[in-house]
Amino acid sequence: MSAREDQADVEKVLAGEIGAFENIVRRWQNPLVNLAYRFCRDRGRAEEMAQEAFLRAYRSLDRWRREAAFSTWLYALATNLYCSELRRIPARMVALDDVTEPRDPRAIDGGLEQEDQDRAVRRAVHALPAKYREAVTLFYFHDMDIAEASRSLSLPEGTVKARLSRARALLRSRLSQHFVAPLLRKEA
Amino acid sequence: MRDPDLDRILSKEEEILPSSGFAASVMEAVQREAAAPPPIPFPWKRAMPGLCVAGLTLVSLITASIVLIIQGMPGQSIPRQWLTASASFVAASRNFGVAWILAALLLSFASVKLAMHLAANRMSGYQRI
Repeated sequence: MSAREDQADVEKVLAGEIGAFENIVRRWQNPLVNLAYRFCRDRGRAEEMAQEAFLRAYRSLDRWRREAAFSTWLYALATNLYCSELRRIPARMVALDDVTEPRDPRAIDGGLEQEDQDRAVRRAVHALPAKYREAVTLFYFHDMDIAEASRSLSLPEGTVKARLSRARALLRSRLSQHFVAPLLRKEA
Repeated sequence: MRDPDLDRILSKEEEILPSSGFAASVMEAVQREAAAPPPIPFPWKRAMPGLCVAGLTLVSLITASIVLIIQGMPGQSIPRQWLTASASFVAASRNFGVAWILAALLLSFASVKLAMHLAANRMSGYQRI
């Protein structure tokens, strides 16, 4: 349904009816802003990047080849923009070693609370080298679908799998000390 | 730490909602983009003769240099017409100041490219505001 609506709106915009682009914006603003947010963790910047992505989409609508879904094309365009934006002006980074610093003093003799664990994982992802961070971000954004993630990144599936595997290994090694104690406690 | 733990944590990412004016602000930028005059294309048609002359000159100069190098090598013979043609071409190029024309063309091309690049950057900066 959405794919047909997208195609119809694109045709209208290309025919000169610029107002039809608003339908596309309203349909895709949520995913595009959320995708940008996962990349930069800054609400204001996420909206700026999403706006730029929509503008680029508008400028290059005529380059969308109909054999790919509009969503695939839009995600690839947005991902490309977000990655290059963050390489140009990186998001506020956290050193990977700082990630393992427990925020909660209780963690020193036990483990972290669930919320702290979640936060530690996200910070660790944010501190990964760009190519691994991008793969992890896209993989989870697309509900763990490697094919979708690879299309968004315009990379072969094998490359995305390899990057995911390396990213997981890095995360495991950095976060193991946080998770050993709670998991042992849970299993006991 | 196990992969299922990572999957569990990273799959339940918090969702944010775009601000209420987001779509309107995008459309404003789109309208501005649509109203803006198209970027001035590089005048390829006008520049083409000059670029062709420059290219030919460059090729001739390279050929002439190769010929002169080979001429200096012992035991090598070069057809006389080649040498005469190359020598006269080099002389004509010198008389016309082809090197200067070539330099001016390259400089013009570079400055037009730079101006277009700066203008494009400024446009995208305005759209972001």
